[in-house]
Amino acid sequence: MIHTIKLVFSNFKYVALASVIFASMVIGLLILSEYIFLDPYIISHLPSGSELGFVLIVILSALSALVIPMNIFRIYILKSSKQKMGGGIFGSIIGAAAGACSCGPVGFAIISTFGSVGATATAFLTNYETPIRIIAIGILVVTYFTTVKSLKIECKINP
Amino acid sequence: MNKKGIMLGVIVVTIIAGMTAFFLSSSSETVNLDMGRTHGTISTAMGSPILGDSSAQITIVEFGDYQCHQCYNWFHNTKPAISSNYIETGKANLVFVDLAFLGNDSPLAAQASYCAEDQEMYWKYHDLLYASQESNIDGGWANSERLKAFAFSLGLNMELFESCLDSEKYSKRVQYNIQQARENGIRGTPGFFIVGPDGQQKVSGAQPFSVFKQILDPMV
Repeated sequence: MIHTIKLVFSNFKYVALASVIFASMVIGLLILSEYIFLDPYIISHLPSGSELGFVLIVILSALSALVIPMNIFRIYILKSSKQKMGGGIFGSIIGAAAGACSCGPVGFAIISTFGSVGATATAFLTNYETPIRIIAIGILVVTYFTTVKSLKIECKINP
Repeated sequence: MNKKGIMLGVIVVTIIAGMTAFFLSSSSETVNLDMGRTHGTISTAMGSPILGDSSAQITIVEFGDYQCHQCYNWFHNTKPAISSNYIETGKANLVFVDLAFLGNDSPLAAQASYCAEDQEMYWKYHDLLYASQESNIDGGWANSERLKAFAFSLGLNMELFESCLDSEKYSKRVQYNIQQARENGIRGTPGFFIVGPDGQQKVSGAQPFSVFKQILDPMV
């Protein structure tokens, strides 16, 4: 497993990609979930009772930053099927969507645009925010192990 | 002995009258009857009664939804410090304006708060709703039956309250408030305008007390 990670991240491009994915996801989700505020000045705030949400965002972002570059490596270096990219992207998107649709501007925009259908979808994503994020993390973990297994076989890595 | 008895009686009556006047003045709430009321660019005519000294130089206008979790967070984490430092000291007052958009029970809860206002219990009902918020939007905690149960627990006249809520007497009032939020560029809850003598400052989200302090202190 370590050998596979070393293989992918020995190329600086993939380290840079992972850093960009992690930074953009963690900062974006912390802003959308109101752990970070930009206006009237930049400030972070972790209210009591919302610690679990914060931890899940960090885990989700870290796993996305690990899994997505590994899949891109497999596609571009080993010319594997692009369909195998699906798990990482899917996990990242549903994990991100879960927390974004709440009282904040994203939820308001969705409800304003889509009316009662948007309100139902927003209520669902808000009510089940934590389970959806845990499922998203589960999808990313499964994708990570399948990717590692696949790279071991395709690259003939012998630990 | 008679003189002493009369004096004692006068003192007792004076103390009882004084205590009654104190409790009546501290527990009663005003009703918003000012149909032309504005704060900065916001028409708060259909909003809540003013919490705190109505002549205070600063007004905090809060746009909120009773089902919003971030409003709950602000209510429990930030509002107590604002109340004790600015509202109770007469430096600022607060007006709540509904941006009831999150679910079907949100406008209903907002209407119920104005039915409570009819009986001069707006802020107690408002506080009870935020204290009782449950995690699920439209999960039943703010349906019609529960809203009536909250009113009952506060000792409101149930005949008046139920008639008010069932008739949707304040439906247009809530819609007017939502429109005010849109017109003033509020895009989520909670959203705030801090209106002082020299202008107004917008604050979006359940931001910590330090942010409000930094804006409020130069205005005081």
